[in-house]
Amino acid sequence: MRKKVLAAILAAAMAASVLIGCGSVTSKGGAPMAATEESAAAASEEAGTDEAAAPASDRTKITALFRGSESGEQYQIFNDLLSRFCEEKGLDYDIELVNGDADYVTKLQLYINSNTLPDIFGCPNGALSAACRDIDALIDVGAELKRNGYYDKMNGAVVDFLTDAEDGNLYLFPQGLYCEYFVYRKDIFEQAGITEVPATWDEFLEDCRKISEIGEIPVIVGGKDNWQIMRYLSFAPWRVTGPEFIMGYQAGEETFSENEAAKSAVNLVYEMGTKGYFEPGFLSVDYTSATDLFYGGNGAIFYSGSGQIAQAEEMYDNGQLGFFPVPDVAGMENMSTNVPIHAGFAEAFNKKTYDAAMQEFFDFMCENFSEACYNNAKIFSPFNEELPEGLPQLYYDTKPMFASADTAWTSWDDKLSSDVLTSIVDQQQKLAGGDITPEEFEQTVDTFVK
Amino acid sequence: MQKAFGRKAVLLTFLLPAFVTYTVFVFVSIIWAGYYSFFEWSGVGTKVFVGFQNYITLLTTDSVFRMTVWHTFAYTAIDVVIQVFGGLLFAVLLSRIRKLRVFLQTMYYVPVVISSVAICQIFNKLFSVTPAGIINTVLGMFNPAWKILEWTSDPAKSLYVAAFVEGYKYLGLYMVIFYAALIAVPEELSEAALVDGATKFKEYIYIRIPYIKPVIIANCVLVLNGSLRSFEYSWLLTGGGPGNSSELMTTYMYKQAFSSMKYGYGSAVAVMIVIICLGVGFVFRRFTREESSE
Repeated sequence: MRKKVLAAILAAAMAASVLIGCGSVTSKGGAPMAATEESAAAASEEAGTDEAAAPASDRTKITALFRGSESGEQYQIFNDLLSRFCEEKGLDYDIELVNGDADYVTKLQLYINSNTLPDIFGCPNGALSAACRDIDALIDVGAELKRNGYYDKMNGAVVDFLTDAEDGNLYLFPQGLYCEYFVYRKDIFEQAGITEVPATWDEFLEDCRKISEIGEIPVIVGGKDNWQIMRYLSFAPWRVTGPEFIMGYQAGEETFSENEAAKSAVNLVYEMGTKGYFEPGFLSVDYTSATDLFYGGNGAIFYSGSGQIAQAEEMYDNGQLGFFPVPDVAGMENMSTNVPIHAGFAEAFNKKTYDAAMQEFFDFMCENFSEACYNNAKIFSPFNEELPEGLPQLYYDTKPMFASADTAWTSWDDKLSSDVLTSIVDQQQKLAGGDITPEEFEQTVDTFVK
Repeated sequence: MQKAFGRKAVLLTFLLPAFVTYTVFVFVSIIWAGYYSFFEWSGVGTKVFVGFQNYITLLTTDSVFRMTVWHTFAYTAIDVVIQVFGGLLFAVLLSRIRKLRVFLQTMYYVPVVISSVAICQIFNKLFSVTPAGIINTVLGMFNPAWKILEWTSDPAKSLYVAAFVEGYKYLGLYMVIFYAALIAVPEELSEAALVDGATKFKEYIYIRIPYIKPVIIANCVLVLNGSLRSFEYSWLLTGGGPGNSSELMTTYMYKQAFSSMKYGYGSAVAVMIVIICLGVGFVFRRFTREESSE
């Protein structure tokens, strides 16, 4: 009997340890926080408003769910902020990480369905944020930023990127400020006799031809990752129409076969794929490998951005790299913003658990976010602040490109419904691989929306 | 002992855990998927009852699903050839050697214990085009044009590459099973054949291989079962692409349910996979049973 009891206790202990270990990344000990309504009110009063006072808190822990790994930017930033805040307040924190887009979406859906979302969670602006909004699970981040005085400091294009399409509110806090641009190898351009960076897509293709003729790979692309080729498909419609084409397409009001900008983008992908301007086997190369390929010395042009300054830093400082924005579509009126700016994956705050402690954390986060962006994640802060000293030169040189940007990047991943997106991804691979013609592509994708 | 096993309570003790586990994790899941398949549902929000509409769409207008069914059959056929017949061939060869047998047996078995993800990573590197992997580098020595030969990114080859990788991984497993069966063939049968003038080749063809036929059939069932439900090799190597060139029923189901966020439709695909697997299993068992009775 004693043996049985002992076995039962051991089994229970093992099960408990397994459950405790599941998915938990970080946990720090500490006494429960004794935040009171007074402290919350004081925080609100400091921010100049009494209306936003959150309920008193007896919480002992802050929970978070993020996409990616421990080396990911979201984790790097929030692990730093949460550890500092929780240590100060005597709280525990727990960050759950899910690697991979599809797995993350599934996990988030489970939390939404069961209405058991953590205090903070990664959430893109689109169907998932709408689902959270529908169950009243989102704090109005815009109102909170106005309360603590940080709203006006936020980059306009970032706010534009995260603004809810239905009610115009800002429910999401940016992961950072990301700008994207092309980087190129100066030596290869020189060898190919290219003296100026391409200003239009026609010039871009002409430069690719010249580079190809000297036996170099013109463009490195991570074609295995859906968004990489989709960027080339969306550049022209974005430069000419902003978000209008893709929103119109999703609503069934626009078609690829009738929109000239979209048609030129389709032709661009087909031409680049079939003329060998992308590296051989590009459909089996993922973005990480493509990054390693380019910064390892292969290819002349790579679509990169501020998220990869760490990789580009050395070559740029040695004068080997240059950069240029998204080219214009020749013969059409292009908008002035030519650098895609977005806010990354974004974070949402659970309204159900948003108490005084969380409000205090929100303010702490805003105060220290830029520091965490530059020191930990090595990305631009979404707040319009002076760049700190000592950053790689590429930060200072690229910032003027987006300083005056007023229109955010339109991410097709967020704007298209999931099923249309999945179907387009399959077709774009066929298009880039030359298995279907541009006309066949246009006809097929036009049937995806009714 | 005999008495103890005859008691109902003892029988239940042995049967119940497996029965309950199987029911909870298999039957309930299938019934649950069947229930969801009657709805239009994105995974979040309200479910809309659509009756058999998902099945009607799947069977009448979804050309990609039809394509995935044929892909899955082709994939299964390749795996049967590699795993069953390849495994048998390796087992026969192993049974014919004395030196280094244990070493070779262990080496062939190594891929079985390596995780699928690791195997796919290894083959991704081997089949890499830019930068050239080992395979293309070696091929490039014979013909420079072969250095940029595409494998997983070529729609004409991607399905076969994925099937080959799965076949390679499990070949060692079936080889060991066949080897164990081959060495268990009574020696007197072989000796009698040899006395009657049979060559070693004939001994295998007419004595040993027919003797282990039940093992061959059992292995075929196992490979069929595994290949029809195969997911990770196609998913990790090619993501079902380029386009839908290496799309299997399972990867398509996953894409519909989790990428397209059409849980209802994805569930209908899942139910169809169950039906097709049961159908193939039934036909195979019927075929092999009839053959055995003949």
